[in-house]
Amino acid sequence: MQVEVDRDKCVASGQCVLTAPEVFDQDDDEGKVVVLDDTPAPAAHGRARQAAAMCPGVAISLRDEGR
Amino acid sequence: MTTPTSAPQLPFTRPNPMDLAPLFAQLRDKGPLSRVTTPAGDPAWLVTAYDEARTILGDRRFGKAHPAPEKASKISGAAIQSGPTGSFEDEEREHTRMRRVLTPAFSAPRMRRLSSRIQELADGCLDDMERARADSPDTPVNLHDLLSFPLPVQVICELLGVSQSDRDLLRGWSERIGILDGGSDAQEAMADFQAYMGRVAEAKRERPGQDVVTDILKVQAEDPTFTEDDMTRLAAGLLFAGHETTSTRIDFGTLFLLIDPARRDRFAADPEGLVQATVEEILRLSAPGGLGLMRYAREDVQIGGVTVARGDAVLVAINAANRDGEAFAEPDAFDPDRAPNAHLAFGHGGHYCIGNALARTEMRIAFTSLFRRFPGLRLAADPYTLREHSERLTGGVNTVPVLW
Ligand code: SF4
Repeated sequence: MQVEVDRDKCVASGQCVLTAPEVFDQDDDEGKVVVLDDTPAPAAHGRARQAAAMCPGVAISLRDEGR
Repeated sequence: MTTPTSAPQLPFTRPNPMDLAPLFAQLRDKGPLSRVTTPAGDPAWLVTAYDEARTILGDRRFGKAHPAPEKASKISGAAIQSGPTGSFEDEEREHTRMRRVLTPAFSAPRMRRLSSRIQELADGCLDDMERARADSPDTPVNLHDLLSFPLPVQVICELLGVSQSDRDLLRGWSERIGILDGGSDAQEAMADFQAYMGRVAEAKRERPGQDVVTDILKVQAEDPTFTEDDMTRLAAGLLFAGHETTSTRIDFGTLFLLIDPARRDRFAADPEGLVQATVEEILRLSAPGGLGLMRYAREDVQIGGVTVARGDAVLVAINAANRDGEAFAEPDAFDPDRAPNAHLAFGHGGHYCIGNALARTEMRIAFTSLFRRFPGLRLAADPYTLREHSERLTGGVNTVPVLW
């Protein structure tokens, strides 16, 4: 799984960080998304999918490989 | 109240706190958007389908301001979310300013740092529950008064830098400003609430603190268009939204978990492991308040087979959208295993609730702690007979009697 984000679309909700803390973080001043791990381990895929589905800015895209 | 149209008037009657008013699903069967009458007696569109709800919330052609506010449909007689806010021309700029001020305070990293404090406060609430039980062993404990209300109110007071010894005052104002037909009493309560916030701000101008009111004052000092009324209204709004809604979710979540002993046992066996998904399902299914999120169309928009005209009021019934069978299989079933669970409990798009990380963190801590401490918690009343306060903006119940 490959994780990509579009920081221009991010509305700094922090939902992704709470959902998949091993994959996402927020920067401290603007609160925009930061990717910590763009190829997360399978154990985190479900959480990454939840974060992407919920993202209010539709800023997160996931490319699944070999599923 | 006089009703100018034959369209059904909100809030619709619901049978009990757990189920929605059946009329939402009936309207959705006919189409994603329906004509309704607001509690204030004015015409509006009601959005009941998930796809259209999500689309509208993420579409900048819908906002909270109105091109001609005096002609706008009123939503209710509450002193908050009852009509258009802000200036039509400057809406985007004002909203961006607000987000910039508030985002750092409510960000997920900040919540991580705050977690141990929230945990301490939650433990204190559970100690109070235990004490209440010991003091009068035959009486059920009201979880609303001892956990669901005090926990979020303590947290938001600390964040805003407001003395929580004033919490009964805040509770009183919060209740009054949120009554849908509150009329002049709601306005009076809002004025008192704002005056109080003005005094808090005055004190912080002299002695700044590490709190959100101080943050807001810094921005205000640099921006002459940011009036005293804007500032006190924002601070009061944060206090209101910061506890009323979370409080309701903790009540409803407890009800949903306790309705079915097998569900409770499953959760109590592994609260840490299950809490994240369980909180999301509680957010999807619990339905506080009967109106939804309010928007006004900034231009004519074709959606869901109708034309929403510029200036029309739109109520996005997120509770109904969260139970749309097109988006969620077996939508009325409590199923924490659904994945992903892209509910709209905090909205969607640019206005997504800035307090979501705070609310989620509080809920996770509250449910984990509650069921760790009292794995055998049970309801001491039939939840289907509890009264849901549909007359309030944020809905909710006042009593959740429990035993263990
Ligand atoms: S969930 Fe989306 S909008 Fe919110 S912080 Fe993450 S990327 Fe940004």
